[in-house]
Amino acid sequence: MNSLVPYSHTLVLAGGLFFLGAACTAARRSLVMILIGVEVMLNAAGLALVAASLRWQQLDGQALVIFIMCVAAAEVAVGLALIVHCQRRTGSLDADRYRLLKD
Amino acid sequence: METVLLLLLLLPLGGFVINALWGRFLPRRAVAGVACAAVLGALVCAATALILAADRAHDFTFFQWFGAGEFATAMNVHYDPLAAIMALMVTFVASIIHLYSAAFMRDDPDYVRFFCYLNLFVFAMLVITTADSLVFVYLGWEGVGFCSYALIGFWYQDEANANAGRKAFICTRVGDIAFGVALGLFFARFGNFSITYINSHAAGLSPTLATLLALLLLGAALGKSAQLPLTVWLPDAMAGPTPVSALIHAATMVTAGTYLLMRLFPLILLSPPAMLIIAGVGSITALYAAFAALAQWDIKKMLAYSTISQVGYMFLAVGAGDIVGGLFHLVSHAFFKSLLFLAAGIVIQALAEEHNIFRMGSLRRLLPGAYWLFLAGAISLSAFPMLGGFFSKDRILLATFIHPGGAYLIFWLLGLAAAFLTPLYTFRVFFVAFPERPDGRRAAEIHVTPRFMAWILWPLAVCALGDGLLNLPGGFGKDFLGYYLASVPGARPELGAAAATEWAMGLLSAATVLASMTLAYFLYRRRPAREPALTGFWGLLFSGFYLDRLYGRIFVQPYQTAARFLWRRIDDPYDRGLVRGARAIFRPYRAMAAFFWVKIDEVFLDDGVVWAAGGLETLSRRLGRWTSGRLSTYLKMLLLGLTILFGALALTWHLR
Amino acid sequence: MNLYAGTFYLLAAVTLGSTALAVTRRNLMHAIIYLVLSFFGTALLFFLLGAPFLAALEVIIYAGAIMVLFLFIVMMLEIRPAEQPWGAYLRQWLPAGVLGALSLAALVLIILAAGGDPSLPLAVASPREFGRFLFQKYWFAVEIVSFLLLVALVGALYLGRREE
Repeated sequence: MNSLVPYSHTLVLAGGLFFLGAACTAARRSLVMILIGVEVMLNAAGLALVAASLRWQQLDGQALVIFIMCVAAAEVAVGLALIVHCQRRTGSLDADRYRLLKD
Repeated sequence: METVLLLLLLLPLGGFVINALWGRFLPRRAVAGVACAAVLGALVCAATALILAADRAHDFTFFQWFGAGEFATAMNVHYDPLAAIMALMVTFVASIIHLYSAAFMRDDPDYVRFFCYLNLFVFAMLVITTADSLVFVYLGWEGVGFCSYALIGFWYQDEANANAGRKAFICTRVGDIAFGVALGLFFARFGNFSITYINSHAAGLSPTLATLLALLLLGAALGKSAQLPLTVWLPDAMAGPTPVSALIHAATMVTAGTYLLMRLFPLILLSPPAMLIIAGVGSITALYAAFAALAQWDIKKMLAYSTISQVGYMFLAVGAGDIVGGLFHLVSHAFFKSLLFLAAGIVIQALAEEHNIFRMGSLRRLLPGAYWLFLAGAISLSAFPMLGGFFSKDRILLATFIHPGGAYLIFWLLGLAAAFLTPLYTFRVFFVAFPERPDGRRAAEIHVTPRFMAWILWPLAVCALGDGLLNLPGGFGKDFLGYYLASVPGARPELGAAAATEWAMGLLSAATVLASMTLAYFLYRRRPAREPALTGFWGLLFSGFYLDRLYGRIFVQPYQTAARFLWRRIDDPYDRGLVRGARAIFRPYRAMAAFFWVKIDEVFLDDGVVWAAGGLETLSRRLGRWTSGRLSTYLKMLLLGLTILFGALALTWHLR
Repeated sequence: MNLYAGTFYLLAAVTLGSTALAVTRRNLMHAIIYLVLSFFGTALLFFLLGAPFLAALEVIIYAGAIMVLFLFIVMMLEIRPAEQPWGAYLRQWLPAGVLGALSLAALVLIILAAGGDPSLPLAVASPREFGRFLFQKYWFAVEIVSFLLLVALVGALYLGRREE
């Protein structure tokens, strides 16, 4: 009665979330959706870390999750500012429109 | 104390770094200022350290350098009276030369590079002077070798200068091989590179090993100090600017070899055969170089051979067991030889790069400063009684004379003969180049040299003439230097000779010098100066007994012949054969292609090519999407990569 | 299968479902709302896995701040859902979907192959303990992260400025 699920189940859950986020990043054309995919991936990583922290009974995993959250917040702020900038510059948020990386 | 020593090393290094990084953006005055300040600062440090040390030895470790298990060493210094005197001399002479160079190189476009290398050189030399770990010494050793190469070939646009630099480097490299082998042996035997450790534990060595080590050290010293058989690079090194010749090839680098032997003297003491060889090499070189100097017409080459000869005396001193005498002569020589070089530099610049003494003249009237300075140096070099190098050379000859062993008597005779030749060749040059010419040419000199260049040399002249006071054999201030160095392992403050022998030696030396100077006067002052024809006896002397040509025949020519052979017989035919072979292969192919073109190509001309082209176009268009520069494509590629990674990991998991 | 395990699976289903819905919506607003739901689910999962403090932070930071920021930007820039035929949209998802599924399959294979799969114990890290741990062991990282946030602030300010 005193236990939760097997550890692998949490990893599969985190993996599923992660690959949902990855597919979102790869498949969608809107810049905002790409960023959302990144957020989902970060969240999934955090979930895996908390599960690991519980599995090994050490708090380092949870500390890392805090840092991940902070970094995600910072990244979202800058990313959205960039999106605003792009929208003002080119009037479109379609990823296919940005072809300047081509040689 | 530790800070002072650290500053002593770091100031010249700092000067180098500053000039190397920002020298281009600074005005010339600032560049020279930085360099001179660095060396003058080092001089102050050397003097302070000497006072603070109070003739005890000090050991400091600056930091651990590297360590791979047992093979470890640190950058540490061993500052004993020997190092103290040497550091003071090096920084003093270097300061004067830096100040002189600021004026000498005033018109040179590569001003910054010159001072960079000069500062770096002083740093490396001070490392050799003070270092305790032999690997640290080796660092300085290589450093001075490199700076010497860079400074000799300073005007590298002229190929002859670059060649001279290379020659110097290669010759000293041969000596460095011996040093490297010695380093390996030291580590194998002592497990340690520290000089203090080696000196204190040297007593247990077997005679064979001691001799081997001493001879390897001698090999290393031979290269740096230009003794036989590696003398050939020094005369050619005169291609460099005169201050370089004064600093590196008179006062410091060439003495580094002797200095190394003095630092490790307790080791060398254990091997009488090695000491015999050292003394022999020194005395033979001294006489050989004195002979060669007699026939030179280039003033700098004469001074170069003279340096070789005088350094030979220092080696003789080490071989005779008297490092006090050797160091005394080292210091004296530094003073008067650099004085001679720098005075010659004034003359050379004033006469528009004229090196030939037979084309100089009337310099007493035109360049009085250089005249008197050169005379002071010449008197010192000749070991005129009571002045300059007299006491140091006398002490060396005395030490050789009283050393047990018949061979040493021969060495003494060789040294005495060289002592006879020294005033002869010195005053030959003096009487040919300086006094009034009989035909009264050179009415006006071509260039005006800054007066600064002359009067900065007067302190050097005073030191050169008066440095006998450092170590008088009797009377007031007796053996001052000797007693200062008493705590250095292996040093003998007094030679312990009978007073009668001392007096006899002294009188004999004085007589030799005076006789030689009189002979020079009669030969060269009274008669008109003529350039000797370079044939026969004079040709032999001029070329240094054809040593250069000998090396050329033994080493250089076979190498060049082999290279030419490989090029002509192997490389070239190979290339040509390759071309012919390729042509032969292609001939049937071309026949076949012609056939196919006629028969088949025309048939499929319409459909095939067009279809293929269309297909390729589609393919390239599809593939081109990969480099579309579209963000979404790149993101998909990322995911693809990740999938491949995971897939590979999953499939090979069972192998973990 | 006890109460806690049941809760876990329920929450897992909710989270996965809402995330899947979130990533596939064409309307941006809908996607964001579903994502907020997903983060709530994650927060509850954190709670279940013994990290109450992190659960609170998840709600505050992720669901609260980040998603609100997204909403704000969407509304400010007046992003309309792009008009795209259904077929094209599905075709867009094909490569990424396939790759994602393959990777997930690979991950599951790895997890199955690696042995040692203990049941997670029930434990809680109280905020007090967690705070003490964080500031004892990772104080330096905390300082750095605060600096990072400052940098992000300045960056966002600069990037988002109106160019007159």
